[in-house]
Amino acid sequence: MIEKALAQKVLHEALRTGADLAEIYVEDVVSLQLRLDDSRLEQAVRGADRGAGVRVFFGNLVTYAFTDQLDEASLMNAARAAASAGNQSSKTQVIDLTERKSPLHYPVEKPFESMSVAEKAGLLGRMDEAARAVGPQIVQVTAGYLELRRHMWLFNSEGVQVEDDRHFTEMRGGVVARRNGTLQRINEGFGGRVGLELLERNDAIEKIGSMAGRAIKMLDAKPCPAGDMTVVMCNGWGGVLFHEACGHQMEADFITKGSSAYTGKIGQQVANPIITAIDDGTIPGRRGSLRFDDDGTPAQRTVLIEKGILKEYMWDLVECRRVGRTQSTGNGRRESYRHMPMPRMTNTFIDQGGHDPQEIIESVEKGIYIAGMAGGQADISKGDYVFNATEAYLIEKGKLTTPLRGATVFGNGPKTLLEIDMVGNDLALDPGQGMCGKGQAARVSVGQPTIRIPRATVGGTDDSAGS
Amino acid sequence: MTNYLELAQDVVKRAAASGVQAEAIITQDSETQIKVSKGEVEQLSQSSSRGLGVRVIDGGKTGYAYTSDLSEAGVESTWRTALELAAVATPDALRGLPEPHPISSEDLEIWDESLPNIPTSDKIELIKEVERGALDYDPRVILAEFCVYGDNINHVYLANSRGFAGQYGRTVTFAEVMGIARGEDGEMTNAFGLGASNFFRDLNAREIGREAGEKAVSLLGGKPVETQVGTVVLDYFVGAQILAALAQALSAESWQKKRSFLLDRMGQQVGSDMVTLMDNGRLKRGLASAPFDGEGVPTAATRLVDEGVLQNLTYDSYAAAKAGVQSTGNAARAGHRSLPGLGPSNFYMQPGNVSREEIIAGVEKGLYVISVMQTGGIDPVTGDCSMGANGLWIENGKIVGPVGGVTVATTLDGFLNNITQVGNDLRMVPFFGSIGVPTLRVDNVTIGGSK
Repeated sequence: MIEKALAQKVLHEALRTGADLAEIYVEDVVSLQLRLDDSRLEQAVRGADRGAGVRVFFGNLVTYAFTDQLDEASLMNAARAAASAGNQSSKTQVIDLTERKSPLHYPVEKPFESMSVAEKAGLLGRMDEAARAVGPQIVQVTAGYLELRRHMWLFNSEGVQVEDDRHFTEMRGGVVARRNGTLQRINEGFGGRVGLELLERNDAIEKIGSMAGRAIKMLDAKPCPAGDMTVVMCNGWGGVLFHEACGHQMEADFITKGSSAYTGKIGQQVANPIITAIDDGTIPGRRGSLRFDDDGTPAQRTVLIEKGILKEYMWDLVECRRVGRTQSTGNGRRESYRHMPMPRMTNTFIDQGGHDPQEIIESVEKGIYIAGMAGGQADISKGDYVFNATEAYLIEKGKLTTPLRGATVFGNGPKTLLEIDMVGNDLALDPGQGMCGKGQAARVSVGQPTIRIPRATVGGTDDSAGS
Repeated sequence: MTNYLELAQDVVKRAAASGVQAEAIITQDSETQIKVSKGEVEQLSQSSSRGLGVRVIDGGKTGYAYTSDLSEAGVESTWRTALELAAVATPDALRGLPEPHPISSEDLEIWDESLPNIPTSDKIELIKEVERGALDYDPRVILAEFCVYGDNINHVYLANSRGFAGQYGRTVTFAEVMGIARGEDGEMTNAFGLGASNFFRDLNAREIGREAGEKAVSLLGGKPVETQVGTVVLDYFVGAQILAALAQALSAESWQKKRSFLLDRMGQQVGSDMVTLMDNGRLKRGLASAPFDGEGVPTAATRLVDEGVLQNLTYDSYAAAKAGVQSTGNAARAGHRSLPGLGPSNFYMQPGNVSREEIIAGVEKGLYVISVMQTGGIDPVTGDCSMGANGLWIENGKIVGPVGGVTVATTLDGFLNNITQVGNDLRMVPFFGSIGVPTLRVDNVTIGGSK
């Protein structure tokens, strides 16, 4: 996208006021988004975004300027703007740029162009019909398609030159079921760092049919009881629990500041010994998979917790420099060229355990089973988390019984991790719908086997509350 | 410098030449962001950007394309792409661009003339003062995280083939911080302080920091209470999250697509008579105020719920055409990258006449909720409303101690009907759009704790 000689020149300019490191991040993003709602293909949007950001490091001060024009004058202006915080003379040389190779490849088997826009739109129309055919209770359906190509190039004054051409395909569906003034809805999606082969490996029609069936079933849901009880969380998307309640607290920015409960706990027991947790940016085809992160560091697999012992945090370049650490874990990510990277998760999961998932449900005398949820939120320093279930069932004497509505699970992440007492042998990553927000949006995957939390606070409006 | 309004009009002319309706938006932003930590600047970002978005409606079929490339080739390919995409959309006779209406020249007070000339050093000083405000509140405040100042000087240029051409400028400044407090046993709590205004000089740095520090410290040592049905007092920041869901439930699109728990209840009593809800795109010094909306329709003040009675919904031109009414000027737009879509402008609950202190003093037993966590727990479709909560326990009108690790659950119906007091302390927050609510007393809420 920009010539090596120009990159060299811009980096040189960025170092002129005494910075110790300078970087150029160039990005070219093209996307197509289709959205069907109310049985109509309402949105057909194509986007083209191109730009570059120049980042300059003066010790722990980081300055940034971006431009949406890639000509020499605009890049040099950005370099000067970012360098303007310095007031010394140049003390660092630009090392000759050498392109770094990665052993990781995420080939696109079916390029976006292999289907016409009309064919893609047609698929959304068939999803709408399939969901409505499930029953007259289905009163509304949405369906969405997204293709995104985010091609990045990065050059820094330490001679690093990398490139990562990221293709994502995503499908989303949403259904609303209604009966006598009671509404239930389910929204789900699937996707990954893949081309249109996604649509061959997953049946979007069957998936939305299943969602419609479950939404109708949830119309019979009873208000969730409130109080402390045993909670069993589903495999796959259930891993959002670890992501929110523990993963964020293992991101290096919260560690170096001391605002995380896991600060200074490397080598200590932080989880039940049946738990091993991993962040892996190298899994083929996943939403969080990278060749290089947005600092130019190779993606890697990082064991965060091994048999209950805290092993490692997730690092980016800025936090490594802050503490004098030489090797980042490849977790520096940014939303776009308009943003600076920060430590983020990639594909994060609790590893395989030993229990049959059926056995886990059968072990519960009275509790709830969370089969689906709308995401979660956690409080960084305290580690408290909350999840709102979109699909939940009462467990009575080891059996799933009544569907429940309005269930909220509330707990403390570090405490829950120590308490989880059963881990299933059904490890799965989520279908590919995770978007993590930490000031910036990042595509991530989460995952886990079925797990049992012996005691968590469950909120809901039980029958006595009324309204 | 390029005249962007003329460019937008030129793009419209080119696209419309093939017999379609066309609209072009150009947005231009100059942004500054500064993050400080422990008295030092950690991040400083200053940049300008602009982009073009083109909407084409061809026989009721909509196509949209956007670009950051304003070169002749970029512009040309963008409107052509929009035209091509329209071919795949479902035709809808009600889809069309609104006819032009005169735009009032009333000063909405959304432009801080001085902002472009405020030196970066003043902004750095302000955000350092925010950090000090949090840390100085109490020695137990050990850290100020996410201590960020930001501003945006934004220009919007909009033109369409029905003859509309308009432009406006808007400035937004904000500062926020998360105070982290640590108790004797090592337990940590946190809370946000934030301020936002169109005018830099309106930001009260010390107060933003103090709010974060005070709230974080007050929550230290919070324990669950027993599960019960009782009274809660909601801090403005908590109420705002519930109002964000109500704003969605009160959009005509949600009704037309059967996605609102309030469906088919027009003219009915949907809340207590203390509840009056407004959407006002012309609010003076409103963070979402503008002379016209995302498709060029004049903005307006719309009374949605009046003393508990559902009176109106928000409309953009499409929803209005469908319902056979006038648009309320609620076509929202997140810059040039998005199609206009129906959304709130400045959405708020009319304040009452009691102070927060008076509300607390009137509670025999209940929870003053300071912070909540929820994701999808407040649902404008199903009407469910449950969240994790931290706060302070009230007994006999006095705050007696911190509460943590509880859930607060009702329904949105229950919320609206059980509001028994509305404070006089309306505060607009820049989250979820621009949303404001005073301190509220709500009865009959399930507080889920131990047992």
